[in-house]
Amino acid sequence: MAETLIQLHGVKKTFAEIEALSHVDLEIMSGQIIGLVGGNGAGKTTLLRLIAGTYSPTKGEVTFGKEPLSAMRHKLGVVPEATGLYHRLTAWENIRYHSRIHGVDDEVAWNRTVQLAKLLDMEDSLSRHTKGFSKGMRQKTSLIRALAHGPEALLLDEPTAGLDVTSARAVRDLVVKLRDEGGTVIYSTHQLAEAQQVCDRIVIIHNGTIRADASPNELLEQTGCDNLEEAYVQLTSDKARSRTEDDVKEGRLAKWWRKLLTSSTPEVAEDE
Amino acid sequence: MSESLKRIRIIAGKEIIEFVRDWRTLLATILIPLILFPALFIVLPLLLQSEAAELEALELDVVVQGDVHEDLVAALKGDRMVVIIEALPSDIANLSDPGSDGERLRNNEIDSILRMQVSGNNTWNYSILQFSTSEHSSQARSRVLTQLWAWESEVVNRSLLEKGLDPDTTLDPVKWDGSLSAADTATSGEQAGMILSLFIPMALAIWTASSAMQPSIDMTAGERERGTLEALLCLPCSRIELLSGKWLAVASIAGVSVGLQVVGLIFAITYLASSSFIAIPTMSITSILLIATAVILFAIMVVAFELALAMKAQSVKEAGTLLAPSIILIVFPALFTQVINLDGIESWWFAIPLVNVLLALRELLLDRIIIEHVVIWALSSMFYSFLAAWFASRQFKREDLVASLS
Repeated sequence: MAETLIQLHGVKKTFAEIEALSHVDLEIMSGQIIGLVGGNGAGKTTLLRLIAGTYSPTKGEVTFGKEPLSAMRHKLGVVPEATGLYHRLTAWENIRYHSRIHGVDDEVAWNRTVQLAKLLDMEDSLSRHTKGFSKGMRQKTSLIRALAHGPEALLLDEPTAGLDVTSARAVRDLVVKLRDEGGTVIYSTHQLAEAQQVCDRIVIIHNGTIRADASPNELLEQTGCDNLEEAYVQLTSDKARSRTEDDVKEGRLAKWWRKLLTSSTPEVAEDE
Repeated sequence: MSESLKRIRIIAGKEIIEFVRDWRTLLATILIPLILFPALFIVLPLLLQSEAAELEALELDVVVQGDVHEDLVAALKGDRMVVIIEALPSDIANLSDPGSDGERLRNNEIDSILRMQVSGNNTWNYSILQFSTSEHSSQARSRVLTQLWAWESEVVNRSLLEKGLDPDTTLDPVKWDGSLSAADTATSGEQAGMILSLFIPMALAIWTASSAMQPSIDMTAGERERGTLEALLCLPCSRIELLSGKWLAVASIAGVSVGLQVVGLIFAITYLASSSFIAIPTMSITSILLIATAVILFAIMVVAFELALAMKAQSVKEAGTLLAPSIILIVFPALFTQVINLDGIESWWFAIPLVNVLLALRELLLDRIIIEHVVIWALSSMFYSFLAAWFASRQFKREDLVASLS
């Protein structure tokens, strides 16, 4: 039976006066692919960053097993939305850099890297500098880098965004293989079809709250809809919040000066 | 090695490898500091010398107007000048009024005009017209003036001799006895230290700050802009380890850069010493070690401060805008420190940030080790370095580091 791997209990995250996440309770079981689905600004990335440990909750706690997350970060692998590769390093040097910080021996990391590179069909590119890599190659390198130290859970932020069909499929296939081998994957995406295809459980986030947390079939049953798109629209029918210009963190003087030197934009006419 | 130190070393190593792989920044970090002082001390004087010799060899056109003395004309011709003799123009109010001759000078038809007029018994009024923005004209004026003074001296001597006076005792009755340099009790090495102390502290301070700037920006705001920082922040290393690793990398790069500058400086001084232009400054080992300590403490502070400021920025452009004025913050105190009189200086000067290190370097280049001053600048520098490191650690602990402009 699957065990609870990561637990968020009463988590709230605010930035200045903006509440990015409100009272989130979530249990992530081992050996599952969890899809975080939501629109832009819904709170998916904030939730992922809380799990990754780059953000601390304003309220509540995030635990890994029974330990505080901060002590267990070596058990996580993270692929942020921006792949974050150093272009003056080769693909292998990028991977090795992270593995070394994880405290993994170079030989162990190399063997694992080669295995993963073969799965993603990029073993010939490990010695290439990442400058000039396509988006797909960058994403694959980033994925290998996140896995080379052998994490228990993998966090992916929009891993197939902007990828061609073949690359996106290779990434999805790898994710499924990881799950089949007992790994846990938390997968943030905009694509409902992709979530339905890959994820065991879908968590729908809207305006900083969790609106649904169930398997794709259970979601359809709960909402009485024929497809996930309809179910999503039903669950997120209230207007999505949007950030105003005043929400952007910026010094008062800088904001005033920028506005002073900005000409006015014509009014949008009301529809008749 | 503890795990934490190992991670710091890994971070620093990767930063340095990435930095040295960019040949343009490497060029700026290694070649420029290495050739800066040799270029300033050796190549520039040689260029100036060559330009001066070229000017000296020119034959210049000079017009002499009015009451001309043939001895003076002969002297002018002997100093590589083509002399054209003319009458004084009638349309001028006085000898300095260019009148219609002004255009001839401005059009470079001629290089200079010497006007002379007998005003009484053996006395002359004169003026030399020139176009001062022309180097030829300035050179012609200079040569005319030199020959005029020599001729005047002859006239004076002749008059004195006619009156039965000895020109030497009449015109120069008070004389220095012996050699001027022998009367100075400072050794040539100490004098060299004095000259070098007027610009070396400033050069070291400015170069330390400027050589740390580019890597600081690249390793902080650059990482934010390229989106590499978020992946790094997800790793099991603390923000302090991250800061320490980056600090070590920037300090190493700045240290190599400043070290190479010092090598260039030593080479230039050795070259100048071989031509007796300047002696090698005399400094004790203690002074040299204290200079190294002062520069290291200064580097700790500056690198931490620059990393902190660059980390505040969300883009490379913003970081450049924040950091560029910080060089001015160094240049002004550096210039000010050059005019502070070190004799009897109050001790509190050695507690002012930046000024303390610059004054310490000045004193040490003069081989003056005043324990009270050393204690004050060392302790205050440590305190400021700690403050800068604390400020940097606060910046590195911010959560919004993962946010980029996009």
